[in-house]
Formats: sequence, structure tokens, C-alpha cells
Amino acid sequence: MTCPQALRTQALIDGELDPVAAEEAERHLAGCADCAAARDDALALRQALRALPYRRAPDSLYAVASGSLAANERRSLGARIAGWLGGPFWAGALSGTAATAVAAAFSFLIFAVPSSQLAGDIASAYLRSLQPGRTIDVASSDRHTVKPWFAGHTGVSPPAADLAAKGFGLVGARADFLDGERSAVVVYRRGAHVIQVFAWPGRGTRLPRAASRNGLSIRFWKSGDLDFAAVSDMGEDEFSAFIRLYRGGRE
Amino acid sequence: MDQRRRQFEAQALPHLDAAYNLARWLSRSPSDAEDIVQDAMLRAFRGFDGFRGGDAKPWLLQIVRNCWRDHAGRARKHEPLGENAESLASGEPDPEAQASRRSEARSLESAIGAIPEEFREVLILREIEDMSYREIAAATGAPIGTVMSRLARARALLRERWLAQNEGSTG
Repeated sequence: MTCPQALRTQALIDGELDPVAAEEAERHLAGCADCAAARDDALALRQALRALPYRRAPDSLYAVASGSLAANERRSLGARIAGWLGGPFWAGALSGTAATAVAAAFSFLIFAVPSSQLAGDIASAYLRSLQPGRTIDVASSDRHTVKPWFAGHTGVSPPAADLAAKGFGLVGARADFLDGERSAVVVYRRGAHVIQVFAWPGRGTRLPRAASRNGLSIRFWKSGDLDFAAVSDMGEDEFSAFIRLYRGGRE
Repeated sequence: MDQRRRQFEAQALPHLDAAYNLARWLSRSPSDAEDIVQDAMLRAFRGFDGFRGGDAKPWLLQIVRNCWRDHAGRARKHEPLGENAESLASGEPDPEAQASRRSEARSLESAIGAIPEEFREVLILREIEDMSYREIAAATGAPIGTVMSRLARARALLRERWLAQNEGSTG
């Protein structure tokens, strides 16, 4: 670990490099045994760490911290989502007052019946899952954990490759319902952004190519006998890059 | 007043799990973690006017960290190690896999617990909370360069301890 490039290699693993710097770092890695070993160690540790059970705050703490929340569940759902959106993703753009306005807007959007049912359902499922404690049913960056879990819980088993080396870490999976049908959801993360890939048995329905709902982008495609939709709050370019990677990583 | 409370909730509550998780890793005790987070939420609410918008997560975690410091200062010599195992993996179908995963998790957890705090916290924030260098710098009040070198050191330390432990237990 005495390589002078060790910190840059680390930054690569942590997804902190822009594409140009990342390419340089990868080139260096190919020829540096120290850095390659450090990368392998760090990724192994990451996998182990992310497989640890996540310690969620107990309900009692939510009760203490929120006080009035339980009294007005519906308002708080909107408020929580707005807080979430107002925080990491619209960073700085929203003052507290604007966040409250957004909360009002969202509580309307989420509960209103969307014009295109499927896109709306997917966006809602995504937003709902971001409530504290709801994102994932199985937390793991190891597809050998995720795939069998799908088999046992959803009957649908979409690809779940860890794309951490490309900047999209696999965080886990959950089961959700789309139109009453069980779907498998693979959850990825890039920085503060969450990407979810929904997969369900196709029934020959035509899918739109893309849609956007509540500020989220949704892309659809078919593969084998499954229908897919990916949804995220990321910028279009990053999102396209993710979808290319995900689809390329087919098993 | 109610308005302010609502804004606070909207900003802070989504990060309550992260706050608790960090407190839990720092204090290594569920009950201390709860106390710390309660303190932190109260302090955060009082100081909410000083929050300048942007991402509330590093802001809140920095307060959690300060509360932990105070708490640790008050209650040194309180070593609740035995409690660590209690909240481990559940919901896994195969009892054997569950048991082996649980013991692996326990050895990793105690290895993490053995790393000095300043390294432990950057590792938790990076790997478990998935925060960027910049966010970790904001939460810990350290420059980014320091975050990077602590993270490298944390990884090396954890790897060392984890390997040593695994050798110790599996022969």
C-alpha cells in the first residue's frame, strides 16, 4: 500500500472520479499489483460491510422524534418525501418553505390517479419505498444472495449484478406489487441517488419507451419473458449509462 | 412554531435511520444510541435556524457525532459489548445459512468496533451510509484529504483485524 497512487485508486473504488480520471486510474490499476490488491481487499470488505444487518431506528425513536407525525399520517408521508427530495437531490434549490409547498404538491400527486397507470404505479412504488425503513427487503451487494432471494420471494429473477466498479453499487432487493402482480425490484445506488429496476412477467402488453412522473425518469424494456422498468431521480445521461450497464450485464 | 416543526421533520426524519445507525456504531450499544439520537434530534431542532438548506444528512450526522462525544465523555468505561449480537440478521430462510452468516457478521462487527473512532466513523459513513467524500467531510468537519487518508487507514486496519480474527477462529 505504498503506491503513490493509492488514494486515487481508492477514489476510483468509491466512485469519486470523473470519467477521464477514472480511466487513468483503471489503466494504472492494470499495471500495479499493490493497487489491484488494495482494490480487491476494499471491495471484499465493502461486500461484507453492506451485508451486515442495517440498524434501523426503533419505532419508539420515530415517535419521540416526530411527536405529531402519527396524528397526521397522510400529511407526513408527503412531508417525508418532500424532505427526502428537498435534501439530497434538489440540494440547495429548496428552502424550508418551498419544501412544504412541495410536500403539498406531492401528497396530491401520489394519491391522485395517474393517467398512465403503470408509470404512475412505478413512480409511487419508488417513492413509497424511500420512506425510512422501506427501501429494501434484502440488503446485499452480492447477487448470489439477491438472486436466490428473488427466487424465493417473487418468482421473478432479474439480473442483479453488482455494478459498484462502474459506480452503481447494488444495495439489495425487495418485492413490490404492480397492478396486483408480484414484481422483483433490484435497488442500486450512486451517491445519493437511488435507482430501482422493476421486473415482472410480461403479458404481451406494449410498453412505452420512457415516461416521467413526479420528477422521476422511467425507462421500459423487454428481455426474455420479462418486462422491465428502471426508475430514478438521476440526470438523463447518468441514467442512460446505468441502463446500458445493467442490460449489458445480462446473465 | 408548527410550521417550523413541520419543516424540521421534513428535513430530519428521513435521516433518522442514518442517525441511529451511526450512533449505534459509535456507541456500540442500542440504548446509548437511542439516547444519543434523542439528544441529537432535540439539539438539531433547536439549531434548525442555523441549517442553511442543502442536504440535511451530513448536518444531522455531525450533530449526532457531537452528541456522541459528549455522551462518551460523560460515560466512559461503559462497555456493553455483549449487546452487539442481538439485532443481527433475521428473516433469512435457511437456519444454517443464518447461523453462519450471523457468526461472520458478529466477527466483522467486533473487528469494526476495535478500530479507533475517527477511522470507524468514516468507514461507516462511506460503506454503510454510502456518503460521498464531500458529505463525509461535512459530517465529520475534516478536510476531504483527511477523509481520504482516514478511509484508507480504516480499510487497512479493518482488513488486518478481520483477517486476524478469522485466523483465530477457523484455525
